[in-house]
Amino acid sequence: MLDASVTDPTDRTRRPAGGPLAAALRGEGFLLFDGAMGTQLQARGLAAGELPELLCLTNPDEVTQIHASYVAAGADVVTTNTFGANADKLGDAATVEEVFGAAVACARASGARYVAADIGPTGQLLAPMGPLAFEDAYELFARQVRAAEAAGADLFVVETMADLAEAKAALLAVRENSGLPALVTMTFQEDGRTFLGTTPEVAALTLSSLGAAAVGVNCSLGPADVAPLVERMLPWASCPVMAQANAGLPRVEGGVTVYDVGPDEYAAAVAVMLDAGVTIVGGCCGTTPEHVAAERALLAARRPAPHRVRDCFAVCGPQRLVALEAGQVGVIGERINPTGKRKMKEALRSGNHDHPLAEAIAQERAGAQILDVNAGLPEIDERAVMCQLVSELLGVTTLPLQIDASDPAVIEAAVRSYPGKALINSVNGKAESLAAVLPVAAHYGCAVVGLTLDEDGIPPTAEGRLAVACKIVAAADALGIPRHDVVIDCLAMAASTDQTAPRAILDAIRAVKAELTGVRTVLGVSNISFGLPFRPLVNATFLSAAFGAGLDLAIINPGARRMMDVVDSWRVLSGEDEQARFYVEHYADRSDAAPAAAPGEKNVKLPAPDAAAPADPVSRARELVLTGREAAMPDVMREVLLAHDALFAINEVLVPALDEVGRRFEAGTFFLPQLMAAAEAAKAGFEVIRETASTDGATLSGRGPVVICTVHGDIHDIGKNIVRMLLENYGFEVVDLGRDVAPEVVVDAVVARRAPLVGLSALMTSTVPAMAETIELLRERAPWCKVVVGGAVLTPEYAQMVGADFYARDATDTARIAGEVLG
Amino acid sequence: MSVPGAARTYEVGSVDRGEVLRYLGYRDQLIDEGLDARIDEVVARCLAVSRARGVTRVFEVAGRDERDGAPVVRLSGTALELVGRSIDEHLDGAVAVGVLAVTAGMGLDAELRRLSLTDRVAQVILDAAGSAVVERAADAAEADLVAEAAARGLFCGSRFSPGYGDFPLETQPVLLAALDAQRSLGITLSRSLLMSPAKSVTAVVGLFERPRGTVRASCAACPCRDFCLLRRSGRVCRS
Repeated sequence: MLDASVTDPTDRTRRPAGGPLAAALRGEGFLLFDGAMGTQLQARGLAAGELPELLCLTNPDEVTQIHASYVAAGADVVTTNTFGANADKLGDAATVEEVFGAAVACARASGARYVAADIGPTGQLLAPMGPLAFEDAYELFARQVRAAEAAGADLFVVETMADLAEAKAALLAVRENSGLPALVTMTFQEDGRTFLGTTPEVAALTLSSLGAAAVGVNCSLGPADVAPLVERMLPWASCPVMAQANAGLPRVEGGVTVYDVGPDEYAAAVAVMLDAGVTIVGGCCGTTPEHVAAERALLAARRPAPHRVRDCFAVCGPQRLVALEAGQVGVIGERINPTGKRKMKEALRSGNHDHPLAEAIAQERAGAQILDVNAGLPEIDERAVMCQLVSELLGVTTLPLQIDASDPAVIEAAVRSYPGKALINSVNGKAESLAAVLPVAAHYGCAVVGLTLDEDGIPPTAEGRLAVACKIVAAADALGIPRHDVVIDCLAMAASTDQTAPRAILDAIRAVKAELTGVRTVLGVSNISFGLPFRPLVNATFLSAAFGAGLDLAIINPGARRMMDVVDSWRVLSGEDEQARFYVEHYADRSDAAPAAAPGEKNVKLPAPDAAAPADPVSRARELVLTGREAAMPDVMREVLLAHDALFAINEVLVPALDEVGRRFEAGTFFLPQLMAAAEAAKAGFEVIRETASTDGATLSGRGPVVICTVHGDIHDIGKNIVRMLLENYGFEVVDLGRDVAPEVVVDAVVARRAPLVGLSALMTSTVPAMAETIELLRERAPWCKVVVGGAVLTPEYAQMVGADFYARDATDTARIAGEVLG
Repeated sequence: MSVPGAARTYEVGSVDRGEVLRYLGYRDQLIDEGLDARIDEVVARCLAVSRARGVTRVFEVAGRDERDGAPVVRLSGTALELVGRSIDEHLDGAVAVGVLAVTAGMGLDAELRRLSLTDRVAQVILDAAGSAVVERAADAAEADLVAEAAARGLFCGSRFSPGYGDFPLETQPVLLAALDAQRSLGITLSRSLLMSPAKSVTAVVGLFERPRGTVRASCAACPCRDFCLLRRSGRVCRS
């Protein structure tokens, strides 16, 4: 058995107490894993496509023989034959508990010093790209973890992960269901990214922050190509780094699969990795006991090389890591926050997140490096909205996110499944906040913003703020949160009410940097100018002063040119922008007289030049819909509204144009992209009408709502999106539940809004039953609601069979049916 | 020569614009300059974010059975079985079967998702272009199988995918496992048997002792032409 001591599951440094495993996990010794299992099984006649894990039950002696051959070759650890042994893949063939019980016994019988329980990917893709929910993946892994622990494994190896979220689910499953260490390796392609685009740096930072006992690379490529990948991991891994490469590429010789890298060549490539600081090695596909023996000989003559980890503030999303070395400054975009923003509030209430997503894209283009996300509105389910918003933001931006909420439950829900290392905003010096938020940051390996306020409010002096900062940092230290993950916000207060405030803030920043070694600082700048005229100037001046005082991260609107000017020019003065390259490139043609737009601000879709534009705005607006030109619509619609009211603009301009588009589509004179471009143009017109109407105080109540979604199990959403566009254009209020939506979710939404019509889409014959199931539940709980169905595989006969009220051939047909039902 | 387990990367440098339009339901409508340029832009974007890769493997036909009234083609060295009347007819006389899986990659899915949130017209065009790319990748994988067949003195039939006719979609899990496609290509399968990345294709191809009259009457019309490994050596797959 393992000489491990089970410690507090929130302790990031949880390690076994003694022995070679413990030494290896402290980075003080080597650990040698075994080589391939699958290749060895195939060499013994396992047929392609069979479940190799079942051999632990049917042919235990053969499995033990393979383990024993690696023990004889000198491996410290053997890995159980359980790569795909999850409840989903095993199906009815065997239970997870049976397979792990047998597999650990097979491994133990080999006489190995340590038995590592092997956990591979679920085989399904996680949300939001795929259908498997994070918590469902977690449950599959947790069952494996409990089974392996009960069977007496000594450690876990989570391997061949391509999805960072899935690796995170597996690692959390180990940490929350077992006291044993978890070593986590991912697989990369030739381009240095996983199939889902994660880099080695991102993987190392996220997983080591989350408490992996070791991180690394397995499978993927031959050892010479794996070496640069693990070298990229080393500076970002606060734990040992591990490599289990393939024995090169497979090829067929005389009907037998052979690999092109032999033991000596393999060991030579491993030596390069050891020199770089890797301490845990072994092999993956194609490696044999001979490869492992060659590694054992290599290790015998060596000591671990130094492994240097960068001590700097770093956060990451699934594809991009943002690090700030001492002396560098960073920009956090503040715009995704409903406070004082009508459109943002509307978006969060309605669930239509187009506006925050557009803000994210605009802030990234303007130079933000991290995006703050706040969904704090009293009348919404903040937790659900935050999670949904984060998921959608991951689809449109690669920037790391700062999860901004006052409720610790909202923060935890968002950071738990976040595929990366998030920044939490925020904890403060109140005992209650420290107790609730810091453990979340520690458990999930997040960086955290600490506000210098406590039960007595915001201290007016620098000394007072420093004292609160010290309290926060001490509490973070006690939980093992590294200093570079703590970011203190000294809180900007209005200069107009207290002119000593600015100096106190700047002094506090200096004091925090001087007294609390390693801690970073952040500031939301714009409060400083509250109550003063021409606020941008005051904000910019204060930002320069704050950088001078040692501020690391500024929370600002990156779209405010003057603020980014300060950031860009400060980076020249501080030496961060080496040889002022960025500055010269972007500012060579700037002059204050004619302020330039932010670089790359708008990627306008250029309409074709309009040779014979009709003069009358009403005809022009119609023409823009018919030709699908969105960009020119807002101006033309504003002209229409000078002479006409909103109802005229809708009923006499946009709707007739859309009807004409629909006729042309049905007649075959228009094809799909033309229909959609027309819908886009009309939408741009509606938005102008809506804005104008709401400033006039009038209301344009939509008809409906119509609840739409793609049914459970189906992730195709193009057809559904087209339907949504058209329905919205005809003035229907649409509740879009997205894709892969469970029947109960559909029915709950219908009941909550008492929706008169539901549109269900299915693209595969295999998902049509889910459609029938949804309709059945609707009939039971929402008998008033009509159902229209559509999608590639649907026919009028199918529609009748699943119990729908209407079959829609295409999106225009759906709009016509909605008109009939809703009047 | 195809190698089991080793993914190949295919250079798909262009797609047939006519094919993209066909996927979009195009029937000779008038396209204005704006839409024309937009289609070109999205097709170029599609080629930039796609990463066409594939795996092929050949199994000998071990025998033919019938189970629950449906014909079954059994293969050697794999748990994969090909069930149904349509695949049985398609493989009538085949001595071996080539199995392929190809994908345009997750980068394309990510871009589709991004566009579903930001630009739905472009999403529709990209979806069509992605279908064209993955079909090109399937052509390339088929060319690998044609070459392997030729090396064995055999001739390929045409591609047939699970879900066609009565060839069940339930074949997918074992077919993908037989190619180790999750590890080598990153293809995963949902419980409802949908593949991710969305632009992925699986298919089987019969290998026959005599040329099949029905396919590949000439190289000029052959979809595999750009990827053909035989023509370079001055041979053709038809004889």
